[in-house]
Amino acid sequence: MDLKVEPLKCTGCRICEFACNFHYDESISPIGSSLMFYREEKKNYYGLMLKREKTLLLGRPEGERILKPGEQIEGASASSKPILLRVACDRCAEEEDGPLCVRACPFGVLSME
Amino acid sequence: METINNYTGNILIADLASGECETEELSQELVEKALGGAAINMELYEQYKDRDPLILGTGFFTATFFPCSCLAVLTGKSPVTGAIGHVPLTWQVGVELKLSGFDFVVLLGASDKPVRLWLHDGLSDINESQDVWGKDVWESVDKIREAYGDDMIQTLLIGKAGKNKVPLAQVSENYWGSKDSFGFGAVFGAKNLKAIAMRGLGALEVAEGFFQKCIELKNEILNGAIKGKSGLKDFIAPLGIDMSIKAKIESATHRLNACYNCPYPCYTFFKYREAPNVMAQTGVADPGCLTSGLAGLTRFYMLGIDAPQAMEKCFKVGVQPAAAAQILEKKGIKDLAGAEAAIEALASDPVKPEGSTWPIAVNLPPAASIFSSAVPPKPVFSPVSAFGAQDAGQFWVRRQALAYTIGMCPICALLTPEVSTEKIVELVRMSAEWDDFSVDKLNSILDNLIAKSSG
Repeated sequence: MDLKVEPLKCTGCRICEFACNFHYDESISPIGSSLMFYREEKKNYYGLMLKREKTLLLGRPEGERILKPGEQIEGASASSKPILLRVACDRCAEEEDGPLCVRACPFGVLSME
Repeated sequence: METINNYTGNILIADLASGECETEELSQELVEKALGGAAINMELYEQYKDRDPLILGTGFFTATFFPCSCLAVLTGKSPVTGAIGHVPLTWQVGVELKLSGFDFVVLLGASDKPVRLWLHDGLSDINESQDVWGKDVWESVDKIREAYGDDMIQTLLIGKAGKNKVPLAQVSENYWGSKDSFGFGAVFGAKNLKAIAMRGLGALEVAEGFFQKCIELKNEILNGAIKGKSGLKDFIAPLGIDMSIKAKIESATHRLNACYNCPYPCYTFFKYREAPNVMAQTGVADPGCLTSGLAGLTRFYMLGIDAPQAMEKCFKVGVQPAAAAQILEKKGIKDLAGAEAAIEALASDPVKPEGSTWPIAVNLPPAASIFSSAVPPKPVFSPVSAFGAQDAGQFWVRRQALAYTIGMCPICALLTPEVSTEKIVELVRMSAEWDDFSVDKLNSILDNLIAKSSG
Protein backbone atom coordinates (compact mmCIF):
# COMPACT_ATOMS: atom_id res chain seq x y z
CA MET A 1 0.00 0.00 0.00
CA ASP A 2 1.29 3.44 -0.89
CA LEU A 3 -0.04 6.96 -1.24
CA LYS A 4 -1.67 7.90 -4.52
CA VAL A 5 -2.16 11.52 -5.67
CA GLU A 6 -4.89 12.74 -8.02
CA PRO A 7 -3.52 16.23 -8.77
CA LEU A 8 -6.49 17.71 -10.58
CA LYS A 9 -8.69 17.17 -7.53
CA CYS A 10 -6.34 19.43 -5.55
CA THR A 11 -7.48 22.98 -4.76
CA GLY A 12 -4.25 24.11 -3.11
CA CYS A 13 -5.55 24.38 0.46
CA ARG A 14 -2.28 22.89 1.76
CA ILE A 15 -3.81 21.14 4.78
CA CYS A 16 -2.13 17.87 3.74
CA GLU A 17 1.30 19.41 4.36
CA PHE A 18 0.29 20.46 7.84
CA ALA A 19 -1.41 17.16 8.68
CA CYS A 20 1.72 15.29 7.65
CA ASN A 21 3.93 17.49 9.81
CA PHE A 22 1.52 16.95 12.72
CA HIS A 23 2.01 13.19 12.35
CA TYR A 24 5.75 13.59 12.91
CA ASP A 25 5.98 16.20 15.66
CA GLU A 26 2.43 17.07 16.76
CA SER A 27 2.81 20.74 15.83
CA ILE A 28 1.24 22.88 13.10
CA SER A 29 3.90 23.69 10.52
CA PRO A 30 4.74 22.90 6.91
CA ILE A 31 8.46 22.46 7.52
CA GLY A 32 8.74 18.84 8.62
CA SER A 33 6.26 17.32 6.19
CA SER A 34 6.98 14.56 3.66
CA LEU A 35 4.52 16.38 1.41
CA MET A 36 5.33 19.68 -0.21
CA PHE A 37 2.88 21.89 -2.08
CA TYR A 38 4.24 23.97 -4.94
CA ARG A 39 2.63 26.65 -7.02
CA GLU A 40 3.33 28.87 -10.02
CA GLU A 41 0.72 31.34 -8.96
CA LYS A 42 0.21 33.49 -12.05
CA LYS A 43 -0.25 30.36 -14.17
CA ASN A 44 -2.53 28.66 -11.63
CA TYR A 45 -0.18 25.69 -11.98
CA TYR A 46 0.15 23.77 -8.76
CA GLY A 47 0.56 20.35 -7.27
CA LEU A 48 2.20 18.17 -4.64
CA MET A 49 5.49 16.44 -4.14
CA LEU A 50 5.84 13.45 -1.81
CA LYS A 51 9.19 12.30 -0.46
CA ARG A 52 9.37 8.50 -0.47
CA GLU A 53 12.21 6.24 0.70
CA LYS A 54 13.90 6.01 -2.70
CA THR A 55 11.87 8.21 -4.99
CA LEU A 56 9.84 11.39 -5.23
CA LEU A 57 6.20 11.23 -6.23
CA LEU A 58 5.38 14.34 -8.22
CA GLY A 59 1.67 15.11 -8.50
CA ARG A 60 1.47 17.63 -11.35
CA PRO A 61 -1.62 18.82 -13.22
CA GLU A 62 -0.44 16.65 -16.10
CA GLY A 63 -0.59 13.60 -13.85
CA GLU A 64 1.59 11.56 -11.49
CA ARG A 65 5.28 11.13 -12.13
CA ILE A 66 7.91 9.18 -10.20
CA LEU A 67 11.35 10.78 -9.97
CA LYS A 68 14.55 9.03 -9.00
CA PRO A 69 17.39 10.77 -7.13
CA GLY A 70 19.26 13.14 -9.42
CA GLU A 71 16.43 13.64 -11.87
CA GLN A 72 15.53 17.26 -12.42
CA ILE A 73 12.10 18.38 -11.26
CA GLU A 74 10.44 20.35 -14.00
CA GLY A 75 7.70 22.82 -13.33
CA ALA A 76 8.30 23.09 -9.60
CA SER A 77 9.27 26.48 -8.28
CA ALA A 78 12.19 27.12 -6.01
CA SER A 79 11.34 27.19 -2.35
CA SER A 80 13.09 27.38 0.99
CA LYS A 81 11.68 23.93 1.82
CA PRO A 82 13.83 21.55 -0.22
CA ILE A 83 11.95 18.28 -0.55
CA LEU A 84 15.05 16.09 -0.70
CA LEU A 85 15.94 17.03 2.88
CA ARG A 86 12.56 15.92 4.17
CA VAL A 87 11.78 12.73 6.04
CA ALA A 88 10.38 10.00 3.77
CA CYS A 89 6.68 9.23 4.05
CA ASP A 90 6.05 6.37 6.50
CA ARG A 91 2.39 6.13 5.42
CA CYS A 92 1.43 6.88 9.03
CA ALA A 93 1.85 3.16 9.67
CA GLU A 94 0.91 3.32 13.33
CA GLU A 95 -2.20 5.48 12.81
CA GLU A 96 -5.30 3.30 13.25
CA ASP A 97 -7.48 5.43 10.98
CA GLY A 98 -4.95 5.78 8.20
CA PRO A 99 -2.64 8.55 6.99
CA LEU A 100 -3.42 11.98 8.42
CA CYS A 101 -3.04 13.67 5.03
CA VAL A 102 -5.73 11.41 3.56
CA ARG A 103 -8.03 12.17 6.49
CA ALA A 104 -7.42 15.91 6.35
CA CYS A 105 -7.82 16.46 2.60
CA PRO A 106 -11.37 17.69 1.85
CA PHE A 107 -11.23 16.70 -1.81
CA GLY A 108 -9.98 13.12 -1.97
CA VAL A 109 -6.71 14.11 -3.62
CA LEU A 110 -4.76 11.59 -1.57
CA SER A 111 -5.62 7.93 -1.10
CA MET A 112 -3.95 4.60 -0.33
CA GLU A 113 -3.61 2.03 -3.04
CA MET B 1 -6.92 29.64 30.69
CA GLU B 2 -3.87 27.44 31.23
CA THR B 3 -2.02 27.81 27.95
CA ILE B 4 -2.13 29.70 24.63
CA ASN B 5 -1.97 27.03 21.95
CA ASN B 6 -2.65 28.33 18.41
CA TYR B 7 -0.61 31.52 18.88
CA THR B 8 3.13 32.20 18.60
CA GLY B 9 2.87 34.67 21.49
CA ASN B 10 4.38 37.64 19.65
CA ILE B 11 3.09 41.11 18.76
CA LEU B 12 5.30 43.13 16.43
CA ILE B 13 5.37 46.90 16.90
CA ALA B 14 6.71 48.36 13.65
CA ASP B 15 7.39 52.09 13.89
CA LEU B 16 7.57 53.20 10.27
CA ALA B 17 8.61 56.74 11.24
CA SER B 18 11.77 55.58 13.00
CA GLY B 19 12.29 52.38 11.04
CA GLU B 20 12.50 50.42 14.30
CA CYS B 21 10.72 47.17 15.18
CA GLU B 22 10.06 45.77 18.64
CA THR B 23 8.42 42.55 19.74
CA GLU B 24 6.01 42.40 22.66
CA GLU B 25 4.46 39.39 24.29
CA LEU B 26 0.87 38.48 23.44
CA SER B 27 -0.40 38.29 26.97
CA GLN B 28 -2.82 35.73 28.31
CA GLU B 29 -4.87 38.64 29.67
CA LEU B 30 -5.35 40.10 26.18
CA VAL B 31 -6.43 36.73 24.74
CA GLU B 32 -8.82 36.23 27.67
CA LYS B 33 -10.25 39.69 27.08
CA ALA B 34 -10.66 39.63 23.29
CA LEU B 35 -9.74 36.13 22.02
CA GLY B 36 -8.17 37.17 18.70
CA GLY B 37 -8.52 38.60 15.21
CA ALA B 38 -10.49 41.81 14.84
CA ALA B 39 -11.32 41.89 18.56
CA ILE B 40 -7.64 41.98 19.62
CA ASN B 41 -6.88 44.27 16.66
CA MET B 42 -9.41 46.71 18.12
CA GLU B 43 -7.78 46.56 21.56
CA LEU B 44 -4.39 47.28 19.99
CA TYR B 45 -5.86 50.07 17.84
CA GLU B 46 -7.19 51.79 20.96
CA GLN B 47 -3.89 51.30 22.79
CA TYR B 48 -1.97 53.05 19.99
CA LYS B 49 -4.70 55.35 18.64
CA ASP B 50 -2.58 58.49 19.04
CA ARG B 51 0.17 57.11 16.77
CA ASP B 52 -1.70 56.63 13.47
CA PRO B 53 -2.06 52.84 13.85
CA LEU B 54 -2.95 50.19 11.31
CA ILE B 55 -3.24 46.72 12.82
CA LEU B 56 -2.72 43.37 11.09
CA GLY B 57 -3.76 40.37 13.14
CA THR B 58 -4.62 36.70 13.08
CA GLY B 59 -7.57 34.96 14.67
CA PHE B 60 -7.57 32.43 17.48
CA PHE B 61 -7.85 29.52 15.03
CA THR B 62 -5.95 31.04 12.10
CA ALA B 63 -3.41 28.60 10.61
CA THR B 64 -4.73 25.64 12.61
CA PHE B 65 -6.69 22.50 11.74
CA PHE B 66 -9.98 24.34 12.37
CA PRO B 67 -11.78 24.30 8.99
CA CYS B 68 -11.64 27.52 6.94
CA SER B 69 -9.01 28.97 9.28
CA CYS B 70 -7.22 31.10 6.70
CA LEU B 71 -8.09 34.52 8.03
CA ALA B 72 -6.00 37.54 8.92
CA VAL B 73 -7.64 40.93 9.56
CA LEU B 74 -6.45 44.45 8.81
CA THR B 75 -7.96 47.09 11.10
CA GLY B 76 -7.76 50.85 10.92
CA LYS B 77 -9.55 54.09 10.16
CA SER B 78 -11.01 53.94 6.68
CA PRO B 79 -10.59 56.85 4.27
CA VAL B 80 -13.84 55.68 2.65
CA THR B 81 -16.13 55.58 5.69
CA GLY B 82 -14.15 57.84 8.04
CA ALA B 83 -14.67 55.18 10.69
CA ILE B 84 -13.14 51.87 11.79
CA GLY B 85 -13.02 49.14 9.17
CA HIS B 86 -11.89 45.52 9.35
CA VAL B 87 -10.61 43.90 6.16
CA PRO B 88 -10.70 40.10 5.93
CA LEU B 89 -7.53 38.76 4.32
CA THR B 90 -7.96 35.25 2.97
CA TRP B 91 -5.97 32.95 0.63
CA GLN B 92 -2.64 32.12 2.40
CA VAL B 93 -2.03 35.45 4.19
CA GLY B 94 -3.12 34.39 7.69
CA VAL B 95 -1.12 31.19 7.78
CA GLU B 96 2.03 32.84 6.43
CA LEU B 97 1.72 35.74 8.88
CA LYS B 98 1.22 33.62 11.98
CA LEU B 99 3.88 31.08 11.07
CA SER B 100 6.33 33.88 10.27
CA GLY B 101 6.36 34.28 14.05
CA PHE B 102 3.92 37.14 14.64
CA ASP B 103 0.27 36.88 15.69
CA PHE B 104 -0.28 40.63 15.43
CA VAL B 105 1.52 43.52 13.76
CA VAL B 106 1.03 47.13 14.84
CA LEU B 107 2.08 49.56 12.10
CA LEU B 108 2.70 53.03 13.51
CA GLY B 109 3.33 56.38 11.84
CA ALA B 110 4.66 56.93 8.35
CA SER B 111 8.03 56.40 6.73
CA ASP B 112 9.74 59.31 4.98
CA LYS B 113 10.63 57.01 2.06
CA PRO B 114 9.02 53.96 0.41
CA VAL B 115 9.55 50.83 2.51
CA ARG B 116 8.29 47.28 2.88
CA LEU B 117 8.05 45.08 5.96
CA TRP B 118 9.59 41.59 5.68
CA LEU B 119 8.47 39.00 8.22
CA HIS B 120 10.06 35.56 8.48
CA ASP B 121 11.47 33.14 11.06
CA GLY B 122 10.43 35.37 13.95
CA LEU B 123 12.40 38.24 12.42
CA SER B 124 11.21 41.56 11.06
CA ASP B 125 12.91 44.03 8.79
CA ILE B 126 11.78 47.37 7.40
CA ASN B 127 13.51 47.51 4.02
CA GLU B 128 13.68 50.27 1.44
CA SER B 129 11.22 49.69 -1.39
CA GLN B 130 12.02 52.36 -3.93
CA ASP B 131 12.68 49.55 -6.46
CA VAL B 132 8.97 48.70 -6.71
CA TRP B 133 7.32 51.94 -5.57
CA GLY B 134 6.23 52.93 -9.07
CA LYS B 135 5.54 49.38 -10.27
CA ASP B 136 2.15 47.80 -10.75
CA VAL B 137 0.97 45.12 -8.32
CA TRP B 138 1.87 42.14 -10.51
CA GLU B 139 5.39 43.29 -11.26
CA SER B 140 5.89 44.23 -7.61
CA VAL B 141 4.92 40.76 -6.35
CA ASP B 142 7.36 39.17 -8.78
CA LYS B 143 10.19 41.49 -7.76
CA ILE B 144 9.58 41.12 -4.02
CA ARG B 145 9.54 37.31 -4.26
CA GLU B 146 12.69 37.43 -6.35
CA ALA B 147 14.37 39.74 -3.84
CA TYR B 148 13.65 37.43 -0.90
CA GLY B 149 14.17 34.23 -2.88
CA ASP B 150 10.95 32.28 -2.38
CA ASP B 151 7.89 31.92 -4.62
CA MET B 152 5.68 30.96 -1.68
CA ILE B 153 6.10 34.35 0.04
CA GLN B 154 2.74 36.00 0.57
CA THR B 155 2.45 39.73 0.08
CA LEU B 156 0.05 42.50 1.04
CA LEU B 157 0.83 45.42 -1.23
CA ILE B 158 -0.36 48.42 -3.17
CA GLY B 159 -0.17 49.59 -6.76
CA LYS B 160 -0.53 52.96 -8.40
CA ALA B 161 -3.87 53.72 -6.70
CA GLY B 162 -2.37 53.19 -3.24
CA LYS B 163 0.66 55.25 -4.10
CA ASN B 164 -1.72 58.05 -5.16
CA LYS B 165 -3.72 57.62 -1.92
CA VAL B 166 -7.11 57.46 -3.65
CA PRO B 167 -10.15 56.06 -1.75
CA LEU B 168 -10.68 53.25 -4.26
CA ALA B 169 -7.20 51.89 -3.52
CA GLN B 170 -7.02 48.36 -2.19
CA VAL B 171 -4.41 46.48 -0.27
CA SER B 172 -3.87 43.49 -2.56
CA GLU B 173 -3.20 39.88 -1.55
CA ASN B 174 -0.41 38.95 -3.99
CA TYR B 175 -1.63 39.55 -7.56
CA TRP B 176 -5.35 39.19 -6.93
CA GLY B 177 -6.82 42.16 -5.11
CA SER B 178 -8.63 41.55 -1.84
CA LYS B 179 -11.86 42.11 0.06
CA ASP B 180 -10.62 45.57 1.10
CA SER B 181 -13.61 47.84 0.61
CA PHE B 182 -12.21 50.45 3.01
CA GLY B 183 -9.48 52.07 0.93
CA PHE B 184 -6.64 50.78 3.08
CA GLY B 185 -4.48 50.89 -0.03
CA ALA B 186 -4.52 54.67 0.47
CA VAL B 187 -3.49 54.18 4.10
CA PHE B 188 -0.50 52.09 2.99
CA GLY B 189 0.31 54.84 0.51
CA ALA B 190 0.11 57.54 3.18
CA LYS B 191 2.49 55.49 5.32
CA ASN B 192 4.89 55.08 2.36
CA LEU B 193 4.39 51.35 2.93
CA LYS B 194 4.57 49.47 -0.36
CA ALA B 195 4.19 45.97 0.99
CA ILE B 196 4.24 43.48 3.81
CA ALA B 197 5.94 40.25 2.76
CA MET B 198 5.54 37.11 4.86
CA ARG B 199 6.94 33.59 4.90
CA GLY B 200 5.69 31.18 7.53
CA LEU B 201 7.91 28.24 8.34
CA GLY B 202 7.43 28.31 12.12
CA ALA B 203 5.30 26.02 14.26
CA LEU B 204 2.31 26.18 16.61
CA GLU B 205 1.51 23.90 19.52
CA VAL B 206 -1.65 21.83 19.23
CA ALA B 207 -3.89 20.67 22.06
CA GLU B 208 -4.44 16.94 22.45
CA GLY B 209 -7.55 15.81 20.57
CA PHE B 210 -7.83 19.04 18.56
CA PHE B 211 -6.81 17.48 15.23
CA GLN B 212 -9.45 14.73 15.40
CA LYS B 213 -12.21 17.15 16.48
CA CYS B 214 -11.37 19.42 13.53
CA ILE B 215 -11.41 16.50 11.08
CA GLU B 216 -14.86 15.54 12.37
CA LEU B 217 -16.09 19.11 11.91
CA LYS B 218 -14.59 19.27 8.40
CA ASN B 219 -16.43 16.06 7.48
CA GLU B 220 -19.68 17.47 8.86
CA ILE B 221 -19.21 20.56 6.69
CA LEU B 222 -18.50 18.46 3.59
CA ASN B 223 -21.72 16.52 4.14
CA GLY B 224 -23.74 19.61 5.01
CA ALA B 225 -24.96 22.70 3.18
CA ILE B 226 -22.05 22.85 0.71
CA LYS B 227 -22.33 19.23 -0.44
CA GLY B 228 -22.22 18.97 -4.24
CA LYS B 229 -21.37 22.65 -4.70
CA SER B 230 -18.16 24.48 -5.57
CA GLY B 231 -16.87 27.76 -6.91
CA LEU B 232 -18.45 31.17 -7.37
CA LYS B 233 -20.77 29.75 -10.04
CA ASP B 234 -22.86 28.01 -7.37
CA PHE B 235 -23.38 31.32 -5.52
CA ILE B 236 -25.25 32.83 -8.47
CA ALA B 237 -28.71 31.30 -8.08
CA PRO B 238 -28.91 31.40 -4.25
CA LEU B 239 -27.86 35.07 -4.18
CA GLY B 240 -30.41 36.00 -6.84
CA ILE B 241 -27.84 37.15 -9.40
CA ASP B 242 -28.69 37.06 -13.12
CA MET B 243 -28.30 33.41 -14.18
CA SER B 244 -26.58 34.34 -17.46
CA ILE B 245 -23.51 35.16 -15.34
CA LYS B 246 -23.19 31.51 -14.29
CA ALA B 247 -22.62 30.31 -17.85
CA LYS B 248 -20.06 33.06 -18.46
CA ILE B 249 -18.12 32.03 -15.36
CA GLU B 250 -18.27 28.33 -16.23
CA SER B 251 -17.05 28.84 -19.78
CA ALA B 252 -13.90 30.70 -18.72
CA THR B 253 -12.99 28.73 -15.57
CA HIS B 254 -9.64 26.96 -15.48
CA ARG B 255 -9.41 25.48 -11.94
CA LEU B 256 -10.89 26.35 -8.60
CA ASN B 257 -8.67 27.25 -5.67
CA ALA B 258 -9.24 27.07 -1.95
CA CYS B 259 -7.74 29.21 0.78
CA TYR B 260 -5.71 27.53 3.52
CA ASN B 261 -7.57 24.54 4.97
CA CYS B 262 -10.84 25.40 3.26
CA PRO B 263 -13.38 22.74 2.21
CA TYR B 264 -15.14 25.12 -0.21
CA PRO B 265 -13.02 26.36 -3.14
CA CYS B 266 -14.62 29.68 -4.09
CA TYR B 267 -11.53 31.25 -5.68
CA THR B 268 -11.92 30.83 -9.44
CA PHE B 269 -9.08 31.09 -11.95
CA PHE B 270 -10.16 32.43 -15.35
CA LYS B 271 -8.05 31.81 -18.44
CA TYR B 272 -8.38 34.14 -21.42
CA ARG B 273 -4.91 34.18 -23.00
CA GLU B 274 -5.07 30.45 -23.57
CA ALA B 275 -7.88 27.88 -23.52
CA PRO B 276 -9.41 27.46 -20.04
CA ASN B 277 -9.05 23.67 -20.25
CA VAL B 278 -5.25 23.75 -20.66
CA MET B 279 -3.86 22.16 -17.48
CA ALA B 280 -0.27 21.54 -18.57
CA GLN B 281 2.43 24.14 -18.10
CA THR B 282 2.79 26.30 -21.19
CA GLY B 283 4.84 29.28 -22.24
CA VAL B 284 2.01 31.75 -21.66
CA ALA B 285 3.32 33.89 -18.81
CA ASP B 286 0.08 35.52 -17.64
CA PRO B 287 -2.77 33.30 -18.88
CA GLY B 288 -5.50 34.76 -16.69
CA CYS B 289 -6.49 35.86 -13.22
CA LEU B 290 -7.80 34.51 -9.93
CA THR B 291 -10.67 36.00 -7.96
CA SER B 292 -13.40 35.41 -5.42
CA GLY B 293 -14.84 38.87 -6.10
CA LEU B 294 -18.27 37.96 -7.34
CA ALA B 295 -19.76 41.46 -7.08
CA GLY B 296 -17.08 42.92 -9.36
CA LEU B 297 -17.22 40.05 -11.82
CA THR B 298 -20.99 40.31 -12.07
CA ARG B 299 -20.99 44.06 -12.56
CA PHE B 300 -18.35 43.91 -15.30
CA TYR B 301 -20.23 41.10 -17.06
CA MET B 302 -23.43 43.14 -16.87
CA LEU B 303 -21.65 45.97 -18.72
CA GLY B 304 -20.96 43.50 -21.54
CA ILE B 305 -17.22 43.52 -20.77
CA ASP B 306 -14.99 40.45 -20.48
CA ALA B 307 -15.07 40.62 -16.70
CA PRO B 308 -11.90 38.67 -15.78
CA GLN B 309 -9.77 40.92 -18.01
CA ALA B 310 -11.28 44.03 -16.43
CA MET B 311 -10.60 42.49 -13.01
CA GLU B 312 -6.96 41.97 -14.01
CA LYS B 313 -6.63 45.66 -14.82
CA CYS B 314 -8.12 46.58 -11.43
CA PHE B 315 -5.72 44.19 -9.68
CA LYS B 316 -2.69 45.62 -11.46
CA VAL B 317 -3.38 49.26 -10.56
CA GLY B 318 -4.80 48.26 -7.16
CA VAL B 319 -8.40 49.51 -7.17
CA GLN B 320 -11.56 47.84 -5.85
CA PRO B 321 -13.08 46.02 -8.85
CA ALA B 322 -16.72 46.15 -7.76
CA ALA B 323 -16.58 49.87 -6.99
CA ALA B 324 -14.72 50.52 -10.24
CA ALA B 325 -17.36 48.61 -12.22
CA GLN B 326 -20.09 50.65 -10.53
CA ILE B 327 -18.36 53.88 -11.61
CA LEU B 328 -17.83 52.58 -15.16
CA GLU B 329 -21.53 51.79 -15.38
CA LYS B 330 -22.36 55.43 -14.58
CA LYS B 331 -19.88 56.56 -17.24
CA GLY B 332 -21.62 54.30 -19.78
CA ILE B 333 -18.45 52.37 -20.66
CA LYS B 334 -19.22 49.09 -22.41
CA ASP B 335 -16.01 47.90 -24.04
CA LEU B 336 -12.82 46.40 -22.62
CA ALA B 337 -10.40 48.98 -24.04
CA GLY B 338 -12.51 51.81 -22.68
CA ALA B 339 -12.83 50.01 -19.35
CA GLU B 340 -9.08 49.50 -19.03
CA ALA B 341 -8.40 53.15 -19.77
CA ALA B 342 -11.04 54.25 -17.26
CA ILE B 343 -9.68 51.89 -14.59
CA GLU B 344 -6.18 53.30 -15.15
CA ALA B 345 -7.62 56.79 -14.65
CA LEU B 346 -9.40 55.71 -11.45
CA ALA B 347 -6.00 55.00 -9.92
CA SER B 348 -5.50 58.77 -9.83
CA ASP B 349 -9.11 59.79 -9.16
CA PRO B 350 -10.28 60.89 -5.66
CA VAL B 351 -13.78 59.49 -6.30
CA LYS B 352 -15.23 57.38 -3.47
CA PRO B 353 -17.26 54.16 -3.78
CA GLU B 354 -20.98 54.69 -3.20
CA GLY B 355 -22.93 52.33 -0.97
CA SER B 356 -23.21 48.61 -1.63
CA THR B 357 -21.40 47.30 -4.67
CA TRP B 358 -23.58 44.17 -4.93
CA PRO B 359 -25.92 44.08 -7.94
CA ILE B 360 -28.66 42.71 -5.65
CA ALA B 361 -30.71 44.22 -2.84
CA VAL B 362 -28.73 44.50 0.40
CA ASN B 363 -30.52 45.01 3.70
CA LEU B 364 -27.97 45.17 6.46
CA PRO B 365 -27.95 47.28 9.66
CA PRO B 366 -25.53 50.23 10.09
CA ALA B 367 -23.13 48.10 12.18
CA ALA B 368 -22.41 46.04 9.05
CA SER B 369 -20.32 48.96 7.75
CA ILE B 370 -17.38 47.91 9.97
CA PHE B 371 -16.97 44.70 7.93
CA SER B 372 -16.08 44.17 4.27
CA SER B 373 -18.87 44.69 1.76
CA ALA B 374 -17.13 42.24 -0.60
CA VAL B 375 -18.57 39.33 1.40
CA PRO B 376 -22.03 38.10 0.27
CA PRO B 377 -24.71 40.02 2.19
CA LYS B 378 -26.56 36.90 3.33
CA PRO B 379 -26.02 33.15 3.88
CA VAL B 380 -25.61 31.46 0.50
CA PHE B 381 -26.94 27.91 0.74
CA SER B 382 -29.03 27.98 3.92
CA PRO B 383 -31.66 30.22 5.51
CA VAL B 384 -30.58 32.16 8.62
CA SER B 385 -32.80 29.81 10.62
CA ALA B 386 -30.34 26.99 9.86
CA PHE B 387 -27.84 28.99 11.93
CA GLY B 388 -30.36 29.35 14.78
CA ALA B 389 -31.01 33.02 13.95
CA GLN B 390 -34.08 35.01 12.96
CA ASP B 391 -33.08 38.53 12.01
CA ALA B 392 -31.03 38.25 8.80
CA GLY B 393 -29.25 41.60 9.18
CA GLN B 394 -28.29 41.13 12.82
CA PHE B 395 -27.23 37.57 12.05
CA TRP B 396 -24.88 38.74 9.28
CA VAL B 397 -23.16 41.27 11.55
CA ARG B 398 -22.65 38.78 14.40
CA ARG B 399 -21.54 35.98 12.10
CA GLN B 400 -18.96 38.29 10.53
CA ALA B 401 -17.79 39.45 13.98
CA LEU B 402 -17.39 35.80 14.96
CA ALA B 403 -15.45 34.86 11.81
CA TYR B 404 -13.17 37.91 12.02
CA THR B 405 -12.39 37.09 15.67
CA ILE B 406 -11.72 33.36 15.49
CA GLY B 407 -9.89 33.57 12.13
CA MET B 408 -12.45 31.83 9.95
CA CYS B 409 -13.09 32.92 6.36
CA PRO B 410 -16.14 35.23 6.52
CA ILE B 411 -17.55 33.79 3.29
CA CYS B 412 -17.26 30.24 4.59
CA ALA B 413 -18.91 31.35 7.82
CA LEU B 414 -21.99 32.10 5.70
CA LEU B 415 -21.85 28.67 4.01
CA THR B 416 -21.50 26.46 7.06
CA PRO B 417 -24.31 26.27 9.61
CA GLU B 418 -22.51 23.14 10.85
CA VAL B 419 -19.97 25.45 12.53
CA SER B 420 -22.10 26.36 15.52
CA THR B 421 -21.20 28.71 18.35
CA GLU B 422 -21.25 25.73 20.72
CA LYS B 423 -18.67 23.84 18.66
CA ILE B 424 -16.45 26.89 18.48
CA VAL B 425 -16.63 27.29 22.25
CA GLU B 426 -15.74 23.61 22.72
CA LEU B 427 -12.68 23.96 20.48
CA VAL B 428 -11.53 27.18 22.18
CA ARG B 429 -11.81 25.46 25.57
CA MET B 430 -9.82 22.51 24.28
CA SER B 431 -7.14 24.65 22.63
CA ALA B 432 -6.44 26.88 25.58
CA GLU B 433 -7.38 24.61 28.49
CA TRP B 434 -9.85 27.40 29.21
CA ASP B 435 -12.58 25.60 31.13
CA ASP B 436 -14.74 28.61 31.92
CA PHE B 437 -14.86 29.91 28.36
CA SER B 438 -18.54 29.95 27.40
CA VAL B 439 -21.05 31.04 24.78
CA ASP B 440 -21.80 34.05 26.99
CA LYS B 441 -18.11 34.99 27.12
CA LEU B 442 -17.81 34.67 23.35
CA ASN B 443 -20.91 36.79 22.83
CA SER B 444 -19.53 39.43 25.17
CA ILE B 445 -16.30 39.58 23.13
CA LEU B 446 -18.30 40.00 19.91
CA ASP B 447 -20.53 42.68 21.50
CA ASN B 448 -17.42 44.62 22.51
CA LEU B 449 -15.90 44.32 19.05
CA ILE B 450 -19.03 45.62 17.36
CA ALA B 451 -19.57 48.43 19.90
CA LYS B 452 -15.97 49.65 19.90
CA SER B 453 -15.67 49.46 16.12
CA SER B 454 -18.93 51.32 15.62
CA GLY B 455 -17.65 54.12 17.81
